[in-house]
Amino acid sequence: MNSKETCRSELRIALRQLSDRCLYSASKWAGEQLVGIEQDPAKFTPTNTRFQRGSSSIRRRFRTNDITSSPAIGMSYVSTPVLEEDEVIDGDFYLLAKSYFDCREYKRAAHVLRDQNAKKSVFLRCYALYLAGEKRKEEEMIELEGPLGKSDAVNRELVSLERELSTLRKNGTIDPFGLYLYGVVLKNRGNQNLARTVLVESVNSYPWNWTAWSELQSICTTIEMLSSLNLSNHWMKDFFLASAYQELRMHNESLAKYEYLQGTFSFSNYIQAQIAKAQYCLREFDQVEVIFEELLRNDPYRVEDMDMYSNVLYAKECFSALSYLAHRVFMTDKYRPESCCIIGNYYSLKGQHEKSVMYFRRALKLDKKYLSAWTLMGHEYVEMKNTPAAVDAYRRAVDINPCDYRAWYGLGQAYEMMGMPFYALHYFKKSVFLQPSDSRLWIAMAQCYETDQLHLLEDAIKCYRRAANCNDKEAIALHQLAKLHCELGRPEEAAFYYKKDLERMENEEREGPNMVEALLFLAQHCRTHKRLEEAEVYCTRLLDYTGPEKEMAKNMLRGMRSESSFPSMDAEHFPP
Amino acid sequence: MASPPQPTQPPPMTNAFALTPHKVSVCLLLQTYALPAQTTPPFPFSSVSQHNRLGLYLLALTKSYDDISEPKLEELLNQLKEISGSLGHWLIDHLTGRLSSLSAPDDLFSFFTEMRGILGGLDSVVMEDNQVILDPNSNLGLFLRRCILTFNLLSFEGLCHLVTNIGSYCKEAMSSCMPYETRLLDESSNDLETLSEYENMDLENFVFGKVNEEIEARKQASERVPFHLHGPKALSGLVEDIEVVADPSSKHGDKCGESNAYIHPPGNELRDVDPYGEIFLRTNWQVQGYLMEHADAIEKHDSSFSFNSSELVLRQIKKLAPELHRVHFLRYLNSLYHDDYFAALDNLHRYFDYSAGAEGFDSVPSSSGSNGSGRYEIGLIYLGMMHLHFGHPKQALQVLTEAVRFSQQQSNESCLAYTLAAICNVLSEFGCSSSAGVLGTSFSPITSMDTSLSVGQQLFVLLRESLKRAESLKLKRLVASNHLALAKFDLLHVQRSLLSFGPKASMKLRTFPINVCKELRLCSNLISEFGYESSTMTTDGAFSTTWLNNLPKSMDSPLLPQENGHRNNCDAHRFFTQLSTVPKSVLQLLGSSYIMRSTAWEMYGSAPLARINSLVYTTCFADASSSSDAASVHAKLIQHLAVFRGYKEAFVALKVAEEKFLTVSKSVILLVKLQLLHERALHRGNLKLAQQVCDELGVLASSVSGVDKDLKTEASLRHARTLLAANQFSQVYIF
Repeated sequence: MNSKETCRSELRIALRQLSDRCLYSASKWAGEQLVGIEQDPAKFTPTNTRFQRGSSSIRRRFRTNDITSSPAIGMSYVSTPVLEEDEVIDGDFYLLAKSYFDCREYKRAAHVLRDQNAKKSVFLRCYALYLAGEKRKEEEMIELEGPLGKSDAVNRELVSLERELSTLRKNGTIDPFGLYLYGVVLKNRGNQNLARTVLVESVNSYPWNWTAWSELQSICTTIEMLSSLNLSNHWMKDFFLASAYQELRMHNESLAKYEYLQGTFSFSNYIQAQIAKAQYCLREFDQVEVIFEELLRNDPYRVEDMDMYSNVLYAKECFSALSYLAHRVFMTDKYRPESCCIIGNYYSLKGQHEKSVMYFRRALKLDKKYLSAWTLMGHEYVEMKNTPAAVDAYRRAVDINPCDYRAWYGLGQAYEMMGMPFYALHYFKKSVFLQPSDSRLWIAMAQCYETDQLHLLEDAIKCYRRAANCNDKEAIALHQLAKLHCELGRPEEAAFYYKKDLERMENEEREGPNMVEALLFLAQHCRTHKRLEEAEVYCTRLLDYTGPEKEMAKNMLRGMRSESSFPSMDAEHFPP
Repeated sequence: MASPPQPTQPPPMTNAFALTPHKVSVCLLLQTYALPAQTTPPFPFSSVSQHNRLGLYLLALTKSYDDISEPKLEELLNQLKEISGSLGHWLIDHLTGRLSSLSAPDDLFSFFTEMRGILGGLDSVVMEDNQVILDPNSNLGLFLRRCILTFNLLSFEGLCHLVTNIGSYCKEAMSSCMPYETRLLDESSNDLETLSEYENMDLENFVFGKVNEEIEARKQASERVPFHLHGPKALSGLVEDIEVVADPSSKHGDKCGESNAYIHPPGNELRDVDPYGEIFLRTNWQVQGYLMEHADAIEKHDSSFSFNSSELVLRQIKKLAPELHRVHFLRYLNSLYHDDYFAALDNLHRYFDYSAGAEGFDSVPSSSGSNGSGRYEIGLIYLGMMHLHFGHPKQALQVLTEAVRFSQQQSNESCLAYTLAAICNVLSEFGCSSSAGVLGTSFSPITSMDTSLSVGQQLFVLLRESLKRAESLKLKRLVASNHLALAKFDLLHVQRSLLSFGPKASMKLRTFPINVCKELRLCSNLISEFGYESSTMTTDGAFSTTWLNNLPKSMDSPLLPQENGHRNNCDAHRFFTQLSTVPKSVLQLLGSSYIMRSTAWEMYGSAPLARINSLVYTTCFADASSSSDAASVHAKLIQHLAVFRGYKEAFVALKVAEEKFLTVSKSVILLVKLQLLHERALHRGNLKLAQQVCDELGVLASSVSGVDKDLKTEASLRHARTLLAANQFSQVYIF
């Protein structure tokens, strides 16, 4: 790992350079990481620690050794020379342009810089033009909205920007920031391959621009693409890889990377939130809750990623905590899609599905491509028994991101609800393909095969077997497997699964009708196979329960005793 | 709980009438058309017929749809040249001049006020002589009123968009007229403009733009005038023909020929790339109509229809109108006909997910399905048909049984009838034993059928049932196709007389030609009722489109003689669409009844009647037919030729057919070819060749996709004949 001091000094310079170029979200990110590095006790001042973990944090630990004594740069990393500014003092025009830019008067800013040739000025002019185009595009999208949906408003600056930036690149007079912008433009123009190359160039020569990394990540949709990138080994690459792994649903790899990064950036909120995200995908809800509680303590006005926290609270049915969270984000910023989503979740938990849909719709109004809002809205429509609307909502989610297995699953469920199991199978297949380690999906598919209409029990068994293999928490699969085998007249297999189910229930100390059923079957099975001692054990266990099974067990016991007491007679009566 | 209205559904799509530069051009032309006669000396029209021609042209323009995007100015100008002959230049100058003068929002205001002037009063005021004022209730008048109304409703944003769009509309036409260098220059000047100018900010730029456009207009005029003044008519015609070939985006493609008008040339891509190339969407039903035509075209041309090009168009439509879900259906069709199973499956599901099966199925009068639960049963039927198409009978039956159940649940009777017909279809195509099991277990709800019945018997029962249902629901198309299916059944299946007891009853097993004939007649009878009830909306538009498309052909027919063959068809088609409005699907059904007749006569031994029926098919229904049908008719005719005119002519015909159906249903044509080759080889005593052909046939019979039993039998039969001819009796015996 790189020395913390190098990271810190690099980030400090980068922060200044980024905000100087009005790349605000990148500088925000850099700032978060900068403060996320563990403080150096020598420079320890109360003001510095205020932004760090609260003192109550368990993880807060200061190192006693002197950091300055070990400044060695990790050998696996290349050290990228810090960019040298081509003008030490910004020109007056640049200052004016930057202040226009800060007031969001992009065209004006670009106009001021029209004759400036310094790299920095060129970048800011292009960037301002790009943003002006984006702004106009957003406006046009609303203006031109027709009855058949949005017309394809385009950023009208893209073509001229592409032309200019590509000439600059050919001449070799482009800086990493220009490359970043060129990559963004290319991506918007649909030229993904070149965009990837250009963005790689940009991050290799200036690795601290997080927005460039995230643009790069958004166009690496497969693991092959990711591994084909020729990236030099900077510590920023680890951040990139962690986030890319997450998008490619390699959660464990991503988690490992983040944990490794936490060694340096132990106080980074960003990393914590990302770890929470990975844990969420691995369905470790308790851990996610802990992380978010801590995050909120340190960063109480955070809205990002809080929708995930609300999902966890929803799943755990924490009414008051969810309402508290909803209230908090609402007071912070009510017009964030995340806030609306949290409120929607709250109403959903309260069973007020109409209101919940209203808030999800608001979230979608704010961000039409907000994936989880579409899916959650689908769930609400399912609750409201408005299946066509649910199907529509899920489908939109799937078309935004075809890897969203939840939405595929929702589609399957909706169709199954309507009594179209065969049609639903298509969707379940898609969803298990994307998330083969989720037992719930396999169980849903198996139930689909099991329906009276289809009655494809062999296929159902295959699905249940998969479900049983991937940590089926609700323990449906084993029971169903036993039942199905029993139905198909395979007592040996049935007994095997009943026994397994029984073991499991014993381990988890669960009781219930399944237990009785398993015991009864096993008792009968052992009896028919003349394993009377075993049968007796099961029967005596059955005696603990009430109901008809108890009587059956009693009878069986009686029968077995009589059988065992007259073994010779038995043999006479029924010669082999 | 009362389910709330589905907010995710798109708003009602009736009044999608957007004001576009093209419409403004049409308004301008309307103005010239309706200009009072006693005005200024250069009265444009030299004769009444010229005037009328322009009127007709305008009528067609307002109605036509041949493309989702409206024609560019350049195309419009070309068409104007065709239409109005000597008047063309004046019109073009007038149009471009007026258009380029519309450079500020206020110009548009005065323009539309002016437009209002050419409309007559709403009540029938006495018309003055010599003054053509548009009747506000005429087609053209309505169009103009609609435009004016839309303009009045426009917000200022909309107004700004219209102004910029008109600007780029004109500029595009100019730049495409200019030679390459000037075009480059022009683009770079655009660049400068975008860099330096901040649109609509100060007045100077406006003026600058205006001047610029005037210059361009003048430039353009100066370019055009000498060319047209000096060039005699024939020359200009010639030049245009060259243009037809050179310019890929012009829509001169022959509708009936292989180069279909819908196969979109790379021109579209260019348009995509062009930043200023605004694509102007037309009204909603025009798009819908276009999609319908497109679907027909995909079906008709089968796999010769380029997959990528239509995919490209569909993607473009998708981009323009994301809420128009029918596009997904077309993509499904496209991938279906190109045997892309996964894409077809995906698109089918996507379409029904979005539309709940409710968008675009106007053919079935909604007796029940409008309870907000969607029409997913239709999706099930389509899925079943798709599985059938890809040769998965088991899945098809499973889906279709689900469809039966679901439509019963939704009490959608008509859908049930269609499902039954689809099941019949599956059974008749794959009368395999595997299907019986599926049906037996879960099919009891509809017909209390005995599982012991053979597939054939099941099919017969189902066909009867389906026919009964279709008749009671008055689904004429379905009744007709059921009759057709029954005819086919009668033709193929040997029936045992039920009263064949006693010593005298003949035990002859045979089919009943009378039954076949009866069914066929019933089928075509019903279709004749279709004349009056089809939807005239689309056919009208289609006619206008055809007319516009054929505009240039009046000129280029002598130059492109190879087109003549198709043109007859085209005219016939036009004639057809003009006189009767029988929908294409009905025509297709009628066509297949003729194929069936021809097959029936073939089997019952009347070659001339078989030939006549095939000929009727090729002359009357070639336009509406799917390519596989057409190919099989051709196969029949070729065989006929071989028998009655000798092999030589048959092979000539075969060659023609092969060219016509390039890859399409290759197997049918290929089969005929092999058969002919074999016969001829036997005839000539060329046993080696005969054997070779036999082997080929055997290969054809068991291809990768599965074994065709009939074909296999035929192959071995032919093999046996070859051996017989070679006097190897012992080996023949083995067969």
